[in-house]
Amino acid sequence: MTRWPWERAKENLSEELESHLTIAIGDRVARGEDPAQARAAALRELGNLPLIEDVTRERWGWIWLENLLHDTRYALRQLHRTPAFTVTALLTLAFGIGANLGVFQLLYAVILAELPVPHPEEVVRIHAARSPFDQSWTISYPAYQRLRAATPDIPLMATAYAQDATLELPNRASIEASIAPVSGNYFSGLGIAPAAGRLFVQADERMGQSEWPAVLRYDFARNTFGSAQQAVNQHIILNGRAFIVIGVAHRRFLGDITGRAPDIWLPLSLQSTGAFAFSWDSLGPGHDVSLGKPWYNQPTIFWLSLTARIPPERRAAVLAHWDQVFRNDRELMTEATADPAVKAALLRVKTGVAPLSENGMRKRFATPLTLLMALSASIFLVGCLNLANLQLARLHARAHELSVRIALGASSGRLIRQIVLEDALLVASGSVCAFVLGRAASGILVRWASDRNALFTFDLHPNLPLAAFGVGLMFVSLLSFSILPAVIFIRTGAAQSAGSRAKVAGIAQTAGQRLRSNVLLGMQVSLSLLLSTMSGCFAATLVHWETVDVGMDREHVLNVRPELRQPRYTNHAEMLPGLYTRIQERLQALPGVRSAAVEMCGGIHCGWITALYVHGRNDLTDAQVHGQEDHVGLGFFSTLGIPILRGRDFSSIDTVNTQPVAIISHTYARQLFGDADPIGQFVGYEPAPNDHKFLIVGEVADARVNGAQREAPAVVYMDINQNPAPVNSIRVRAVGDPGQLSDSVRHALYEVDPALPVSEIVPLAIELNGDLGMEKLLARLAGIYASLTLLLVAIGFYGVMSSRTTRRKKEFGVRLALGATRRHIQMLIVGQTARILLAGVLPGAVLSIFAVRIASHLLYGSVSANSLAILAASFVLALAGSIATLIPARRAAFADPLETLRNE
Amino acid sequence: MTEAAKYQNRIELLQGTLDMLVLQALLREPMHGYAIAQVIRSRSGEVLTVETGSLYPALHRLERQKWVKSEWKLTESKQRAKYYQLTALGKKQLTSDHQRWLQLVRAIGAVMDPEVQQ
Repeated sequence: MTRWPWERAKENLSEELESHLTIAIGDRVARGEDPAQARAAALRELGNLPLIEDVTRERWGWIWLENLLHDTRYALRQLHRTPAFTVTALLTLAFGIGANLGVFQLLYAVILAELPVPHPEEVVRIHAARSPFDQSWTISYPAYQRLRAATPDIPLMATAYAQDATLELPNRASIEASIAPVSGNYFSGLGIAPAAGRLFVQADERMGQSEWPAVLRYDFARNTFGSAQQAVNQHIILNGRAFIVIGVAHRRFLGDITGRAPDIWLPLSLQSTGAFAFSWDSLGPGHDVSLGKPWYNQPTIFWLSLTARIPPERRAAVLAHWDQVFRNDRELMTEATADPAVKAALLRVKTGVAPLSENGMRKRFATPLTLLMALSASIFLVGCLNLANLQLARLHARAHELSVRIALGASSGRLIRQIVLEDALLVASGSVCAFVLGRAASGILVRWASDRNALFTFDLHPNLPLAAFGVGLMFVSLLSFSILPAVIFIRTGAAQSAGSRAKVAGIAQTAGQRLRSNVLLGMQVSLSLLLSTMSGCFAATLVHWETVDVGMDREHVLNVRPELRQPRYTNHAEMLPGLYTRIQERLQALPGVRSAAVEMCGGIHCGWITALYVHGRNDLTDAQVHGQEDHVGLGFFSTLGIPILRGRDFSSIDTVNTQPVAIISHTYARQLFGDADPIGQFVGYEPAPNDHKFLIVGEVADARVNGAQREAPAVVYMDINQNPAPVNSIRVRAVGDPGQLSDSVRHALYEVDPALPVSEIVPLAIELNGDLGMEKLLARLAGIYASLTLLLVAIGFYGVMSSRTTRRKKEFGVRLALGATRRHIQMLIVGQTARILLAGVLPGAVLSIFAVRIASHLLYGSVSANSLAILAASFVLALAGSIATLIPARRAAFADPLETLRNE
Repeated sequence: MTEAAKYQNRIELLQGTLDMLVLQALLREPMHGYAIAQVIRSRSGEVLTVETGSLYPALHRLERQKWVKSEWKLTESKQRAKYYQLTALGKKQLTSDHQRWLQLVRAIGAVMDPEVQQ
């Protein structure tokens, strides 16, 4: 059997003193004393044995450890004796701290984290010029080469945006992988080290390679190939092209745009293969642009974003130099517009820098995440208040034991230490749960925040700030629910109550003590009301966006995505109108289908920006001519449920050989023609003389084609049969639930063309709601928080009221004996709760109104919905508080008064 | 004042000298606690009695400072007892303690009996 070393030492000491005694007795007997007398004398001489042991043990120098162990054992016993409190405290701490950790980790990853590279402050985005139509900070490849050559000692990296690619692996199902085309100096310029293999070098930018190099993201490599090492030298197929994995980036590097972690980095020169869909902008139709040819030598295709590493002190000089080099490109870019004011403004722009953190992600998430952090902090606070209150009640219950111990000479320091140790154990184990919970929570939060239309990947590795934050929360909770209550209690209450029989029973709770626990409860009520209100408001916002009028029949339209970008379709575009007609006729023959139509845009966020110049007008500004363009088939408007306001729909008489026609949205019509009738006007993509290509034949109502949360854009619709091209979606309008048509639609399409792959079939409502990740996150989390605090408040009321009624048992007994009814007694207790509730609800309501104001730009429920939320929250709170109180109130009221009095 | 504190005070008072006396008692041969107390008593002509409550804390302290070491042995009367033995470090300590003691005695003597000195 193994024993603690101090236990062995202790026995050793006892044995030593024992032997001392034996020898002493033996000595005395040898000198002729009577054995019994000798023993008594020796014992007397020896003195207080346990005390000697104690004092001797202190010489060993680790008595404190023994004490600590004792206290720990004692604390565990205490916790075991009050399982309800222990479990409540553990859960409160685990959830309270866990929720905060989870949200903080997300907040940190999105807002505070720097790029994991050396000297991240040196890395900046370079903003040379906004592209003419997309208004993105992109430039052409020749311009990039010139800028890079102008400052050879400054790493200037270029990145492009490309759509996800299909990754094929031997013996496995193909998957969609997000890709990031980057220049050869990307990794070296940023200072990223490989986790395995090597990263890009200049030679990787070579054109026309038979097997292209690829670098994988660490987690992607691990999930796909088992480990980073194993991924290296793997041969993969991306969009039908051969690649070899040359390396895996550092574990922590998730790309340079927060939240958008590419799975695979590829060289820019890959564009020349034409196999990947790159984002681009240009000077518009009529300029020298050949999208089908490689882009590296075309100065009028803008597709590269720039990132550079410039020491701050050199920044101004480098930018000025680049500005000079870029002048010709800037002048070239002005050709995209006929608006002299825009031209002048474009020329005035100076090359500037922006921090990497200044991205849409941070702008979009900073406020909601801060808000979530505040909500999480409030739930933590409610938890601490609740525990503090329970703790005070618990200490009152232990008043007798504690005062006896004080009377027996225990120092108040030791008592406080014991109580705090007990709670420190709670906090420590609660925090362990919290860390586990927090890790899981941040993962879930990311999944919730990721909408269908955009998946986020964040670096959620535990980091130092997170640990510091967690430890900080631990200390705050320990301080607020253990140290402060214990100190307050020991210093004020227990010592005086020792001795008195009445006081030992704990009846005398001073007015001050009652007030303290009432204030704590009231504060919980206030915060709980705040959380419930916010939860109601966020839910109203979510409902608002899910039901807002988008100008389309959101509940009945199905979006089918066919894969028409294949040579057998693209090389025979003239055959497409026939295919579209067959598809439409076949689908419309299906039961439950009202109509079907094809569309160039693959769904919402199509974002294809164009310009329309009106024949005979040269006074139009860029703001007027710019809009969005889409090419649609017959019956598109009736299928989407977009009403035609003026003129006519496209029809079968519009063909490749007739006058090209266009239909514009109401907003576009207002933009170009004011209140005048647009029908019969001629428009073109370019200013005169090319401004009369299309005849406007119709005007349709606005629709929020960029998502429910964005204003309806100005859109011009062209007839796809007059300019045949592969479409990206087939829209089907159902009579009932569109989701149920998926199978029959898929089957019908197979019948029309067995070789036509369908990548996705999704109802419009789901597609639109797919944008609402943040709103869903807020609504869900606020809902969870609100229910948790409600539960805490209920527990708080229950705990405080039941300990109070137990203490007043005798009083109630007397009252009942003197003729008070049970109803009286109940009302007495419920009345107390009502007062606390009222005192908490009023400041809570003020707090809520204030919070709703602050968060107003995130809330889209109506004002009445928000005030309703406050009212409903107050009602629910009052209900929860009352129910929680009724239980002890009934118990008190129905206790036998005789029994109570007899016990006295 | 609790009893424990009283003991500690006494140890405090005796500290320097008690340590020295114990070390001196162990100079010739290893001994157990009881024998040490007896030796000090008899050599001092029954004047100095070392209380058990002071002796054992002192012994354990000396052991922790590595001035003595201990082992369990049998006494002549076949009784198991813990024997303490002076270490080299302890011998050095005893020498310096003794030196200091002599200095102290001489100094105090000079103060109390100035004529004798001159």
